[in-house]
Amino acid sequence: MARHRRAENLEEDEPELSISPLIDICFLLLIYFLVTTTIKQKERDNSMALPSAAPSEAQPDIQPFFIKISQGGEIYANVGAAQELLDTEAQGTERTLPLLDQRLEIYAAAAKAGNNKPLVQVYVEAEAEQQVVSDVLNHLAKHKITTVTFTDLVAQDEQNK
Amino acid sequence: MASTKLRAVQQEQDDDTKVDMSPMIDMVFLLLIFFIVNATLIIVEMDKRVQVPIARYSEKQNDKMGRIVVNVYSDEHAGEGRFRRADGKEIFVDDEDLVDFIKKEKEKWDLKGQTARLHLRADGKVHFTYVRRVIRAAAAAGVNEVIFVSLWSRKS
Repeated sequence: MARHRRAENLEEDEPELSISPLIDICFLLLIYFLVTTTIKQKERDNSMALPSAAPSEAQPDIQPFFIKISQGGEIYANVGAAQELLDTEAQGTERTLPLLDQRLEIYAAAAKAGNNKPLVQVYVEAEAEQQVVSDVLNHLAKHKITTVTFTDLVAQDEQNK
Repeated sequence: MASTKLRAVQQEQDDDTKVDMSPMIDMVFLLLIFFIVNATLIIVEMDKRVQVPIARYSEKQNDKMGRIVVNVYSDEHAGEGRFRRADGKEIFVDDEDLVDFIKKEKEKWDLKGQTARLHLRADGKVHFTYVRRVIRAAAAAGVNEVIFVSLWSRKS
């Protein structure tokens, strides 16, 4: 009788919670979420300062580089008689514009040599696609050019005044 | 000299040395709650109907402060509204509406001591004339820094 009572007491003293089912469920949930998730691509920044919104009094020391984007997606450099066709289409999955890239490299290097901040003016025709504009801005970002003016903006603002 | 009885009791105690985990769990939860309450969670929403263009030299989005999100939809989704807010539901009726919105958001960020920037999510297929309207509205509201949102690559 006495021995039996002691055994009962011991059992009551040590109530233990089994955590293995909890771990099982946790792993099950983890695997379920791993399988069902689709990883969303992170969006990235192409930050540009548009001086047209904050015009400065001082005249820039450097001649700005002029780029024109036509509605067909062709990219031209310079204005007037000096205007020349650079790229007609972005190439490859990386969407490179090799001719514009060369020009910008030379321009950026010249600006750096003269201790000036490179300035770029972009004229975009109304029907041009945003992807082409983005391609040009992408190449500007490559050469660390962050000051861009959309020339038509200035022209229209002036007309409104 | 301990008696045999005492020695037996001591031995039993040695066997049962267990670390009590509950105060540690309490502390971990307390710290977790503290950090959750303290953190300022800023999420820049992404409407997947806007397929932003690809740009390889774009930068990682580090600072999410000061962003004023405007979505510009392509012709495919522009039926309900060409310009919309971050959630993709609220529509800007006209350019004045856009200017008012950007102005108000700019004031909010100014109060927090942050520089307001236009977070422009324009679809790659959209015509630049619409993008220009948003940029012009931002300029009218006094925001001159524009972030053209892009992707590094598009998965086929």
